[in-house]
Amino acid sequence: MVFLLENILNMIGFAVGLVIGIMSYIGFKNTGSPTLFRLAIAFFSISVGFFVIWTGYMVDDFILKTGQIQRWVQTLGIAIQTVGYFFIAFSHTIKSFFPKSRYFRSVGYVPLFLVSFISIEHIIRSISFILLVYGAIETIVSYIEGRKKGALFVAFGLALLALGEFLAWYSFVFPETILYPASIVVKIAGLLLLFVPVSKVPLTKIKFDKFEE
Amino acid sequence: MSAYRTHMKIVGEILTTARDDAPDENGASVTYLIRKANISHVRISKILGTLVSQGLLEQNDSRGACKYKISQSGREFLVAYQTFSKFADNFGLTI
Repeated sequence: MVFLLENILNMIGFAVGLVIGIMSYIGFKNTGSPTLFRLAIAFFSISVGFFVIWTGYMVDDFILKTGQIQRWVQTLGIAIQTVGYFFIAFSHTIKSFFPKSRYFRSVGYVPLFLVSFISIEHIIRSISFILLVYGAIETIVSYIEGRKKGALFVAFGLALLALGEFLAWYSFVFPETILYPASIVVKIAGLLLLFVPVSKVPLTKIKFDKFEE
Repeated sequence: MSAYRTHMKIVGEILTTARDDAPDENGASVTYLIRKANISHVRISKILGTLVSQGLLEQNDSRGACKYKISQSGREFLVAYQTFSKFADNFGLTI
């Protein structure tokens, strides 16, 4: 059951990320907007992240047959997704996310050499959660200012992805419970909500001429 | 307090003015565009130069005054700009 849900989530994540990424890239090519370029990087990263995890499941199912995805593959996929979430949050301008002092910067690298892949996965999931919450709040603020319905869908989509990330992280505390499948279902709902406003953009009106900078 | 406008948004407003609000068929003068787009002379001069060099605006000399008219490429760019502006709005962003 969880295997099936994981595959559905990863395929939807891959497809939604790819479609939004391509649309953002077309937008960037047509307008030269750096915002659309960042959005393209964000959604291509999310798409690749889901694809890596899906590949991990497939490789295990058909070749390794251990019944579990390789931990490093899952960590790699989540890390790539987190890069995408970072670029969404970055588009809303994160001003001071990393510590500025030299001491803190040097200490910041140390844990990477001390912790296992499981711990790294926890850290990455928590970073994803923070970035998704930040993105959701900023999008809600934009909705309040502009009253664009699409922004509401995206805000709830990001919020559901954040909730899914939180549940997935929390399921480490209570393994073998409904928490993990629930996190997958919540994430699928979040991805579908992200896609709703994008599916209404009328790309057919655009002539794809090349504009030089 | 007026909201901060991106370079792209100013370009969009200039092109929209040239398309929808041009006073005559020769196009809009710099003064007219400055008033409509609410932008300084120095800044609009640079932007107009870029838009003309990229073929989005056509420069006409009408009775000694320089006028700017939107080109076909400019119209297509404007459609793309408006479409992707709505697309970015969905993410709470401005292009």
